Amino acid sequence: MRIKVSPEIICAPATPEGYSALAVIRVSGKGSLDLIERIMSLKTGRLRGMRRKLGVISDNGKVIDEVIAFSWPAERSYTGEEMVEITCHGVPEIVRGIMDVLVRHGAGKAHNGEFTRRAFISGKLNAIQIMTLASKWNKGNEKGNISGRFGRECEEFINQIEKVKELLEGDIEFGEAHLDSERIAILTELSSLIRDSEKLIQQAGKIEQGQKVFLMGPVNSGKSTLFNILAGGKALVSDVPGTTRDGTRRNVELRGRKVLLCDTAGTGGEGLDIQASKTVLDEIQEFDKVVWMSQNGKESAPEELSSKLPEILEVASKSDLNQVSKKSFEENGKILKLSSITGEGILLLEEWISTSPGNMSLAGALDRTVNHIVNAEKFVTGDEFGIASEHLNEAEREIRSILGKGENLTLSVERALSSMCVGK
Amino acid sequence: MKISENTFDVIVIGGGHAGIEAVLAAERMGCSTLLVTARYSRIGEMSCNPAIGGIAKGTLVREIDTLDGSMGKAADATRLHFRMLNRRKGPAVWGPRVQSDADAYALFQRNYLERKAIRILEDEVIALEGSTENPEGIKCRKNGVVLGRTIVMAVGTFLRGRLFRGQSEWRGGRIGDIASDNLEEDIRRRLFHVERFKTGTPARIVRTSVDTGELGIQESEETDFRFSTDRKDLPGNREVCYLTKTNRNTMIAAKEYMHLSPLLAGRIDGIGPRYCPSYEDKVVKFPEREQHNIYVEPMGYRSRIFYLNGLSSSLPAEAQEKMVRSLPGFEKAIISDYGYAVEYSYFHHTEIAPSLRLRRTHNVFVAGQMCGTSGYEEAAAQGLLAGANAAGIVKGAKQLTPSRGNSYMGVMIDDIVSKGTDEPYRLFSSRAENRLHIRQDNADRRLYEFGKSLGVLSEGKSLLLELNMKEAAEIETVLSESIIERCQAAIWCRRPGAEAERLAELIPTLSSFSRDRIFSVMLDEKYSGYIRRSMKRDESRRRASSVNLSSITSYMEIKEICWEAREVLEKAKPRTLAEAERIPGIRPTDLEGLLLHLAGKRSTWNSSIKKETDQ
Ligand SMILES: Cc1cc2nc3c(=O)[nH]c(=O)nc-3n(C[C@H](O)[C@H](O)[C@H](O)COP(=O)(O)OP(=O)(O)OC[C@H]3O[C@@H](n4cnc5c(N)ncnc54)[C@H](O)[C@@H]3O)c2cc1C
Repeated sequence: MRIKVSPEIICAPATPEGYSALAVIRVSGKGSLDLIERIMSLKTGRLRGMRRKLGVISDNGKVIDEVIAFSWPAERSYTGEEMVEITCHGVPEIVRGIMDVLVRHGAGKAHNGEFTRRAFISGKLNAIQIMTLASKWNKGNEKGNISGRFGRECEEFINQIEKVKELLEGDIEFGEAHLDSERIAILTELSSLIRDSEKLIQQAGKIEQGQKVFLMGPVNSGKSTLFNILAGGKALVSDVPGTTRDGTRRNVELRGRKVLLCDTAGTGGEGLDIQASKTVLDEIQEFDKVVWMSQNGKESAPEELSSKLPEILEVASKSDLNQVSKKSFEENGKILKLSSITGEGILLLEEWISTSPGNMSLAGALDRTVNHIVNAEKFVTGDEFGIASEHLNEAEREIRSILGKGENLTLSVERALSSMCVGK
Repeated sequence: MKISENTFDVIVIGGGHAGIEAVLAAERMGCSTLLVTARYSRIGEMSCNPAIGGIAKGTLVREIDTLDGSMGKAADATRLHFRMLNRRKGPAVWGPRVQSDADAYALFQRNYLERKAIRILEDEVIALEGSTENPEGIKCRKNGVVLGRTIVMAVGTFLRGRLFRGQSEWRGGRIGDIASDNLEEDIRRRLFHVERFKTGTPARIVRTSVDTGELGIQESEETDFRFSTDRKDLPGNREVCYLTKTNRNTMIAAKEYMHLSPLLAGRIDGIGPRYCPSYEDKVVKFPEREQHNIYVEPMGYRSRIFYLNGLSSSLPAEAQEKMVRSLPGFEKAIISDYGYAVEYSYFHHTEIAPSLRLRRTHNVFVAGQMCGTSGYEEAAAQGLLAGANAAGIVKGAKQLTPSRGNSYMGVMIDDIVSKGTDEPYRLFSSRAENRLHIRQDNADRRLYEFGKSLGVLSEGKSLLLELNMKEAAEIETVLSESIIERCQAAIWCRRPGAEAERLAELIPTLSSFSRDRIFSVMLDEKYSGYIRRSMKRDESRRRASSVNLSSITSYMEIKEICWEAREVLEKAKPRTLAEAERIPGIRPTDLEGLLLHLAGKRSTWNSSIKKETDQ
């Protein structure tokens, strides 16, 4: 039996290939619920709303696997479309079998990052969130929080600007009909905007200037050598007083960006040495970055670390001992090969460190935002409502550009999307 | 010659504000014209309030005047009361508004048509004649078929007009007038997409029954402001407007009868939040607010009728009586005409091209209320453009539309044609992206070029505008060359409170120019930074919009955009992003999707767009 569905439905395995306890296949797009109900032989409507249903998927009468389907309505799903996740047993043949059934029933195989792309297009995620996600996933870890707090605050701020704009425009358009001008109310709102924007600036400052880059990894992985290369000749200040016993720190400027580079004591053997690293772990903030080094990338960053923050770069040190491809970083996007001797990978590493979240200068944009709001206030007082309105528009535009909703949103987002794997 | 033996270049249907400007524009362009209207005596009637202008609307009237229309002249000649709205909010948002003598206004328009020897036929048009693609003329109830090369339809609120008060409903486009049922039927039969809108008007009150001692008074501002550049003498007659406020009892009266309101029975959420036509609407939307301002405006000089601006209602007569009598000073008020609502058909925006031609025809244009707008000024501006473009077809001239960045006319046409509207469209100043440039003081300079290329300017007007342009250029030169108070004059103009009078004192060479002209150029200087930025944005938007989509062979394959959008785009096959943007039903997210798609293709476009946004 063939069911006609629009090719708008996409599907892809969301878990890595290979044997595992369970595997997940994601399906998204209008009509997904119908489709899954059909192939699981469920009654129509069983998957409406947020549901969980046990069932069987078979191919021409032959049972492939017993599965659980989780469904989301469009308003609540990741992509902003109807979505189902099928959890089956983690056997490659089963996953492939289910994928085949889906495709035969009209679903298309997703491209890289297509789920996220849809989330972006449906407005569920903004640029910052996507880029944060991308870097998280490049590490191969799906747990942990999305650091969307700052983004949410920006959104809230835009709402506030719009509120003031509505007041101002209403007063220009209908002030005469109401007789009593809203001037006072507008000015009050503007000063509270200014207060709030200063808070945002502080946060952005923390995100950018106060960013720390931690070099971590097992003992003898080459952290100190790397520290010296990165800090060598580039130290702005002499060693920061109060250097902790677990490492040395230095303010360095990489590609015009100031970061605090922190070397840490090496962990021994398996996992993170709690004793030595607890303090470091406590110190790390969501916008900090960690370079996790291990010889030839043998040991990946421990769970405690990768669940805590989005920006982790795994580095395989001493790559000069092996044959390595020069473009490995760009190509697999996962592990950067690095050699302290040949200098391989150092430039890429510097670039990674120096890019701020979202690739934009947050503090700069926010600074301009406040400026515009202060001007708006000045021109309301100075009887030039038309000019005040221009400044409010500019303020809004600045913030939107931070959120990637401005006019030049596309490229950095696209870059992030294409680095994702198909199930995301 | 008998009407039926002629073939007119341009036939205009409807002698309202749109029709008048349409027929006059076509006449100025040298076409043979005919105005067909249902009743001669109601040509140029102000169906609603006796006022012209307001915020954005006043600027629009000056634009109409620049294109040599008659609205500004009529408003100047019949004004009883003038106010520059937003006086204290900056010249960029000033809105000139006059109260006119409504009868005198209509008479002025009628006389103006007579003076221009416009041929007028009193009859009801009941159908277009001939094919839909290329009608040969119109069919009238009494006079039969009249042939015309082009046709402008401007029948206002009359297309299957239905009037409502309380639970009664009757036919009519306006109280005491016919409803154009036959014409509407013909339009539907030709499968044009029409929709229904509603609007309303307040009760009129017998003046002597009101105790005006109880009311606040708003005097007219005494300035020598004119809408028209011809600067004819202003009439000496003055009236004051009165002010009062609704109160708790007004609200109670309205609530008591609310269930009998024809408007609220079903359509309440179709009406936008910022634009409330009826009082009962306001009661529903702002239940906590008891006080609403009511302007009491005389319908004419020493007129015995007052218009109650702000108390539009279609509740039953009994309710209106209670509401009116709850107002202070109106305890014994006698209502001469009760308020009512009118429901009528208008053309869906997808039917209308930017020249105001109906897309499916070669030679039929629409203007005014029929395009989904409301307001005299909006109607007149469209009428003028429709008339000129109809004449353009006859003359073999190019079809033109003013640009969005340069006039409210352009903003309005672009809005109604490309976006459409789900409530009667009214012009607001905030609809313009380039508001600091689109001002009332520089309308003559902004639209001179457009008027010239449209070919709608009489010789006299053309000379006058040229002179204005020249003077402004001279003032500009003086400003750039003079130093006053150790400051370049142009920079001096940006100081808060800089005045033309003071400037003329400081620079004697300027004293021969009119203060208004000097002030207008000063404002150009004052706002220049903002205007430039806005124009640059406009430009970069246009450039981004000129992103070429020709590399897309099938829109159906583009995964970044939703299914519906793919179909629409596939059908329309836009060549640029700008064209895509204009297709009805395409949302901003679809455009982003298109950009994403192109970026994903890693074409050379990538680097070019990046360079542009970096600038
Ligand atoms: C009850 C009411 C309330 C209104 N309220 C508001 C308001 O609150 N705010 C606002 O801005 N505007 C309001 N207006 C609208 C305002 O009157 C119009 O916007 C404006 O008049 C539109 O101009 P027009 O030229 O399109 O049409 P109109 O001024 O209506 O002129 C139409 C003309 O066409 C003629 N005509 C009609 N059918 C035919 C036919 N078949 N054959 C020949 N001639 C025909 C009529 O006789 C009339 O002369 C209201 C109008 C009415 C009637």
